[in-house]
Amino acid sequence: MGSSEKRSKDIMSDIPTFSAENLQNNLKVIQNSRTFLSIIAGVLAGIIGFNGLTGFVFYFVVMLITSVGLMAKAGFSADLYFDSWNRVLFDGFLGGLMSFVLFWTFAYDLVHIF
Amino acid sequence: MVTKTEETQLNQLENQVENGGGGVWEYLCLVRKLKVRRSEIVLKHGLSILNDSGKRSALGPDEWTLYEQVAIAAMDCQSLGVAQNCIKALQKKFPESKRVGKLEALLLEAKGMWEEAEKAYSSLLEDNPLDQVIHKRKVAMAKAQGKPSLAIEHLNKYLEVFMADHDAWRELAEIYVSLQMYKQAAFCYEELILTQPTLPLYHLAYADVLYTMGGLENLIAARKYYAATIDLTGGKSTRALLGICLCGSAIAQLSKGRNKEDKDMAAPELQSLAATALEREYKQKAPAKLNLLTSALRNLKIS
Amino acid sequence: MAEDLVLDTAIRDWVLIPLSVVMVLIGILRYFVSKLMRSSPTPDAKMVKEGQVVIRARNLKAGANFIPPKSFRARRFYFSNEENGLLHVPKDQAQNPQAQMFSDPNMAMDMMKKNLSMIIPQTLTFAWVNFFFSGFVAAKIPFPLTQRFRSMLQNGIDLSTVDVSYVSSRSWYFLNLFGLRGLFSLILGDENAIDDTQRMMQMGGFGFDASKSLSAEKDGLDIIQHEWALPRFEHRAESVLKKLVR
Repeated sequence: MGSSEKRSKDIMSDIPTFSAENLQNNLKVIQNSRTFLSIIAGVLAGIIGFNGLTGFVFYFVVMLITSVGLMAKAGFSADLYFDSWNRVLFDGFLGGLMSFVLFWTFAYDLVHIF
Repeated sequence: MVTKTEETQLNQLENQVENGGGGVWEYLCLVRKLKVRRSEIVLKHGLSILNDSGKRSALGPDEWTLYEQVAIAAMDCQSLGVAQNCIKALQKKFPESKRVGKLEALLLEAKGMWEEAEKAYSSLLEDNPLDQVIHKRKVAMAKAQGKPSLAIEHLNKYLEVFMADHDAWRELAEIYVSLQMYKQAAFCYEELILTQPTLPLYHLAYADVLYTMGGLENLIAARKYYAATIDLTGGKSTRALLGICLCGSAIAQLSKGRNKEDKDMAAPELQSLAATALEREYKQKAPAKLNLLTSALRNLKIS
Repeated sequence: MAEDLVLDTAIRDWVLIPLSVVMVLIGILRYFVSKLMRSSPTPDAKMVKEGQVVIRARNLKAGANFIPPKSFRARRFYFSNEENGLLHVPKDQAQNPQAQMFSDPNMAMDMMKKNLSMIIPQTLTFAWVNFFFSGFVAAKIPFPLTQRFRSMLQNGIDLSTVDVSYVSSRSWYFLNLFGLRGLFSLILGDENAIDDTQRMMQMGGFGFDASKSLSAEKDGLDIIQHEWALPRFEHRAESVLKKLVR
């Protein structure tokens, strides 16, 4: 997860110059870690047996932790790797939600309903 | 693009293979995947697999891929006999294949039979007029025959369709420079800078061309591109540092009679900074040649 | 008494788990099948050229500030002048893609193949799910929903008294269809990025309309303000060198 971030940007400050390839790669890393974590979070939430709103709160917390982790990975200077902070914070948020709900439901049903 | 991890992996495997540690097939696959040029090693070890019928048949259908790879590597190493044998084997297996046809044409080219190769390529192009590899081979052939103008013609024709192929632009730029057609070369380098604005290499080459063309306007632009190179490399490009010094003195010479108020002309600070950076670098890396540098710099400043 | 609805463990063992596993397996299978069926398209020169022109124009737009103003203007004229600019599309030539598709059977064939690889397994699985598992209440989502979701979640069972959070097997199939996308992108790599759900949305806009993207690029180039970035680089080089020398 998040292992191959590369410097997509040199010591640029006023002229935004990005290597499109590296930027793409970084975004892919984010996307993948988001999906991975949302699946894990879904299974966890299901096994623990979160219900209703608690589950979604759990998802938000996990995503927040992911964001912080990604930022730490990027050395808290996202403008070096991404074109905007929003990318780190929100990319893959909704896509992950779908997977989260599915795996949450699946695990919850397996453990608690039957 | 070969990334860092892939490169270390490749080198590791290469070491292992060279020391007889096995993993030859993995190495060959990696070479193919990364499209790197390690012809000698590929030839040596690929051939050892091909000569061993047990190992060869263990590959299954990949055997033919290996034949192709070894054939190309052999041509690169001028072992034309080996290449011929490989191609023959392929021909027997795939008598109608275009891919084998390409290899045959390549072999003709390697043998220096230009006309035959040209004919073979042309007939291949008729089947598939958009085959980039063949177009490029034609350019390479023209170059190998020492006909740069023909190469330019081919390249221009190729670029008319594949105008986003920056490798072709780069080749064209280098040919133009070798023919001293700097205006055309400058255009090509502009195109290259457009495709990859963060690559200092192109900025540097463009600056060189501009400096060579001369003229006040071009010199000032050249200095700017040298500056860009310095910025993009973090000041590590010796050529760019020297370029700044040269541009500075040339500009000073040309603008002697004119009014000095024009702000664009002089950048004394940049020039002196570049000179100090140069001296520092020479002191660190080649102290024996420091004298040469200082005298050269002095000459530049005086003139 | 929705809370008291008891689901048989046999439903779990014979509906919920098999259904999910089959969905995953089918997704993987389809990935490989579509990989096999993907024919390398034989492009014609005009298409290739148009694509390349678009790329080059995009490069020009992105890197405009890195080349001198004169060079930029020359290029812009080359791309977008009204007589023979590369991006200029004469009005009558802008044929509509639908007609183009019918004139070229290969293209239609390709499209068919692409769609078939997506529609056939989907209809098959759907039919299979319908046949084997129709009418089950297969799962319960762990959060409450409003009545409006009933038709979405309880597709296939007509019981208005059951709580909405119970999911019918057919709807579980749909949930899987959408939710497994993330899993596939993880295990199959990003080649699967354009998956069926996205493709379904793209179905409306059949094919790639070159003339449209050409004129879009042209408009983009026309409005660009060129500002040479290189003068600024001199100052930045100075500061870089200052740091280096110090």
